[in-house]
This record gives sequence, C-alpha cells and structure tokens, in this order.
Amino acid sequence: MHTVFREDEVFRIDHYLGKETVQNILVMRFSNGIFEPIWNRQYVDHVQITVAETIGVGERAGYYEQVGAMRDIVQNHLLQLLALVSMEPPAAFDDKAVRDEKVKVMRVLRRIAGDDLPMNAVRGQYTRGFIEGVPVPGYREETGVAPDSRTETYVALKLWVDNWRWEGTPFYLRTGKRLPKHSTEIAIQFRAAPHQLFSREALAGFEPNALVLRIQPDEGISLRFGAKVPVQGIRIRAVNMDFDYGASFMVDAPDAYETLILDALRGDATLFTRHDEVDQQWAFVDPIIKGWAEAPGGPAPYAAGTWGPAEADELIERDGRKWRKA
Amino acid sequence: MAQGVVVDTTFWGVRAEGVAALERELARLRRMESAHARELVRPIARASVLNLIVFADREEHARRAARSISDLALRHPSRAIVVLVDRGSREGVEKQIEMHCQLPIPDGARQVCYEQILVRARGDVDDRLASAVIPLLVPDLPVFLWWTGTPPLGSRSFGDLLRLTDRLIVDSADFARPEITLPVIARISEEARGRFGLTDLNWTRLTPWREIATAFFDVPSWRLFLDGITGLRVGFAVDMDGRDIHPSQALLLVGWLASRLGWRPLEALAPSEAGGLLFAIARPDGARIMVRVRPRFERGLDEGDIRGIRIQSTDERHQAEFVVVRQPTPRHQTATVFLDGERRWERTMPLPSPAIVELIGEELSILGSDRTYEAALGALVELA
Repeated sequence: MHTVFREDEVFRIDHYLGKETVQNILVMRFSNGIFEPIWNRQYVDHVQITVAETIGVGERAGYYEQVGAMRDIVQNHLLQLLALVSMEPPAAFDDKAVRDEKVKVMRVLRRIAGDDLPMNAVRGQYTRGFIEGVPVPGYREETGVAPDSRTETYVALKLWVDNWRWEGTPFYLRTGKRLPKHSTEIAIQFRAAPHQLFSREALAGFEPNALVLRIQPDEGISLRFGAKVPVQGIRIRAVNMDFDYGASFMVDAPDAYETLILDALRGDATLFTRHDEVDQQWAFVDPIIKGWAEAPGGPAPYAAGTWGPAEADELIERDGRKWRKA
Repeated sequence: MAQGVVVDTTFWGVRAEGVAALERELARLRRMESAHARELVRPIARASVLNLIVFADREEHARRAARSISDLALRHPSRAIVVLVDRGSREGVEKQIEMHCQLPIPDGARQVCYEQILVRARGDVDDRLASAVIPLLVPDLPVFLWWTGTPPLGSRSFGDLLRLTDRLIVDSADFARPEITLPVIARISEEARGRFGLTDLNWTRLTPWREIATAFFDVPSWRLFLDGITGLRVGFAVDMDGRDIHPSQALLLVGWLASRLGWRPLEALAPSEAGGLLFAIARPDGARIMVRVRPRFERGLDEGDIRGIRIQSTDERHQAEFVVVRQPTPRHQTATVFLDGERRWERTMPLPSPAIVELIGEELSILGSDRTYEAALGALVELA
C-alpha cells in the first residue's frame, strides 16, 4: 500500500473507533479531573473488557473459518478498547499524539506465548443451544463450516500492561459469538475500601466500586457504589448511578461509519489505526494464534446462550475474581 | 406463522420481537418520559436498584405480582421481569416465548418510573426459558427471584435462573404438600450457602409469634421453664370444609423451637386426625415433649396462619403454661401465663398481618441469608 500512498493518506477503519461511546472514553478520562487521578494500579483492581455477540457465524462462515474470534474481534476491536482505556494522557488531541500513546501501550503489552499460553488465553467454540428462547445450531453444524473445525468463536485473555501505571493490575478481555447477551462494555473494577468498618452481614451482597462504560446497547456510563438500605440498622447495597446517552442528549448518535468517513474526508486521522499500531497488535496476537495452532486439541466447547467455556471461568477465578454479569 | 399467546397488552405493554427490540422500546419510552419531564422542569430518573424475576404459572399470580411490584416501585424501583409459563408441558403445544414491556409510573410518583417486562411462554420451554430471561437483566444489580408456588428442584430452568440469583424468595404458604416441599427448600438452602440468600415469606409472617414466644422467657423467673418443656401445641387455620391444609407456618415454628432449644427427633412426623400432626420430640436431657399441630377453622384467617401456641412446662415445683391466642377483630394477640393452673400474667398486643406486598418489600431490602431460618428448616428436615 505504501508504494502508492503515503501513511498520512491511508485511513484504516476500525469502526469501533467511530462509536460515540468509544470516543467518549477519551472525553471521560481526559476532560474530567476526577477520574484520571484514580485511573491506575493504586485504585484499580482489574479491568474487564467484554465484546459479547448473540449472533452466530451466519452467512460469514467462509470468512470466519479462516479468521476466528482472535483475528475478527481481539486483534482490532478489543485491543483498541484496551488501548483507549489504558493509554497515558496524550499531549494534544490530534492524530499524532493520540496514536503515539496508543502505540506505546501496545508495545508494552506482555506477550503471551509458550508455557504462558494455557494460563492466560482460553479459546472456545459454541455448540448447540438457545438464544433468547430460540434453538440455534452449533458452530460445526453451520453451513460452510468444517465438521471438525478448530476455529475459535470465543476468546478470553488475561493481559498485563507492563508500565508504571498498570503494574500488577490485570486486564481481562473476552469476546464470543452466541453469548447470552449482545453487549460491549468496559468495566473498571476498583479496589475494596482499605479498612472495612461494617460487619460482614451489613455488607452481604455488596461488591467494590465499578465504573462501567457501556458501548452497546444502551450506551452510557454507570458507577456502582454502596448505599445504606433505608431501614433500621446498617445494610449496604450496591446501587448504580446511571448516565444514559439517549435520555440525556435526546439525539441518535450518528452511525460509526458516517463519523469515520466524514473524518477521512476532512483528513483527520485521529480515529484511524496507524500502521505501527496494527503491527504491534499483530505482534501481540500472532504468537497466541501460533501457539494454538501447534497445541494439541482444539477450542473448548460451550453451549450457545452461555457465557463461554468453563476454562474461561477458571482463567479469572484462579485470581479470586469473577466475570461480570454483563 | 405461529399463533401468538393471548396477552392483555393494556396491562403488559406492547410486544417486542426479541431482546434488542425490547430494549429499544424501553429506551424510547424512557426518552419520551424524559422529554415530557423536562418540559415540566423535573427530570426523570431511571431508577433501578434491583432485578426482580417473578415466576408464575398462572395469569392471576402474575398479575398479582405485577401489582405488588408497582406498589413497591417507590421503595424498590426495579427492572421487573415477570415470567408466566403455562402449567405443565403439554404435548402438541408449540413452544413459544414472547416478550412485552412497558414503563409504568407508579401512583404518586413524579420522578421515578420502573421497567416491567413480561416473558410469556407456553409449551415445554424448560430447556430454553433462562436464555430468554438472562439477556433482560440489568448488569451489576442484584437479582431477586420470586418463585410463586413450589420451586421445581431438578427443573433446568429453575436451576439456570438460580445460578444468576442473589436471593430466592418463596412462600411456603403456597406449598400444597409441605412435608415434601419443606425438605426440598432445605436442600436448596444447603446448596445456596455462600451462593445466594433464601427467604420464605411465611417465615416473615412468623416474626410476631417468635417475638412473643421469646418474650415469655425474658422474665428471669420463667427462664428456667425453657429447659423443662413437656408439651407444645400449635394451631393453624384451615378453610371451612378443611380441604386446604397448609401446616407450613406451624411446622416452621416447631422447627425454630427445635433448632433454638436443641430438640432432637424421636419419631417421624405422623399425621393425626383431621390433617394434624402428633409426634414426640426429645429435649437435650432426653425427656419427651409431645408436639401437636392442629388445623382449625376460623373465620377471617388465611389458610395456614397460626391461630395459637401453647407451651407446657415444669420445673421441679411448678407446672406452667405459656399461651398465645390470636384474636380475630381487630387483629391482636393475647399472651397469658398460667402457673399451676392459675392465671399469673396476661397481655394483649397488636398482631400485624402484613400483606404480600409488605412482606416482599421487606425481603427486597435484605440480600444475605437468614441463618435462623436455615436452622429451623434444618431441624424440620431431621423431623420429617
């Protein structure tokens, strides 16, 4: 491509970057004074990023068989979300500064390969099940899919961003097809209060604070915190403070592609992926794909309509944490 | 084209084709309310502090539950998902699940609305029901599962829903065969340990009875009689022809006393005349206590409600009887203590008889499990 176009003439679309709520990650982090000071290892226990689809492979089987969830979603969308959430504040809101910071994060993503693979990466493939009460076929029963296909339709990863800000704070990423719910979200799970004044009984059912950026559907931001239940004595319950895009702005957000095409026409490349960013994404993803190809066995089966294979639960539960009910 | 189940859309709201369409409809309704509220300069809040799944297999139960939720909306605004499944699995009935939703604003509320969703299913949908409910839950909020009727242990949809639940609410007053069902609930409660809380509305109804029974023995000179109990009688209400016999509440009271006082089973619960139960139980010192649970018709009482308690006891010198009797109008209870047949103390107290909506309202503010209840159930299972 570079034999014909200069890099600044190339606009690589990752349509996730055109979504209002994705752009809002930057606005939320860098236009507000209250979030950035706690956006680090000291206050954040871990981060969960979920891209869940209810749809199956549908008519894209021919394409999907070749790529799988790793290349289809993780390499681009999930790593983009990870970059936006974990990057350092850019010096300016322009294409160079923003993308420089994103590349820096990609560079320090700890590579997963060799013996680390099984402990940090899980792949799955859906089998027959139910979505919204309707029976759906398993992946290997879909038209155009090999009956012994080893293509993954689900990926869960545990990642480390090896820098000053995130040392010791894991990022858990998961994506899959035929999951129970269509939902994309980023959850920042904060640490528990350092010293707990209240009894275990009072705290039954309470979990530490979480800030959830909902990207779709129902775009918005929720902050979960504990509140006293209005009865005698102390009982603490998690409540959500909700910001709902639709109800606050009363306008429909433009389609992601509309936003991006307009930006491209204007020559603003901030929301497009630069070549070195893509290189880094592949540098992270390739060893995992290679490891899986060489490993015996295939993806772990999970029934359509469930939240992925049991191995994915183990991946996070090993650390004493659990996947959110997204 | 499948023929739709008949659903009263004025009550349950419009039908939506799938979860995405339903969320869009709710968002549209919210936006409409929000725009309207802005004109009146009082913004409306999307208030949701919990997910409440109600399972019903009768339309009237589903409606009653929906009305309770509406009455509770100011105290516990929720996303309420009412699941209504036709009873039993009938051969030849096409499996079908449809969804309806609306955004009711409860009476007297100005700034709060809650979300009501109906999941209407027919045919044998046990294998797929949960897959229609899970995507409707609001993330991060606790999930309450209110199961009307007897929970079907071993059913897949019950198991699937239970896995998402923070607190299961049942009402053992609705159990047709408590001697079978209460042990089932006890098994659920064992499985629940550490995973979800369990509560029984019938247990909440017992609270005033437990309070008064405890109060007797707060008096130091009567405290000793607690270790010398020889007999216990519990009366509960039945309808006029004695057909509907629901001794769950009375049994829970026996289970509670047994668990608190360390009573051990001597013989299995045996039915006595007219649907009652008569059996012996052992005190920690091995002495026998005769327990009689007796149904009685009484106007104005709900089936299964306790009518009265009589505790007989001796210490080395005296015979004592501690009696609580429910008085019908107005609702109150009289507590009396007899020493050697002589009335020594009597007091009359109001006896609250909370409606379902109040009981549910109370339960929704608790998330943990109730150890005393679990112990009472455990003791009952040993007896059964």
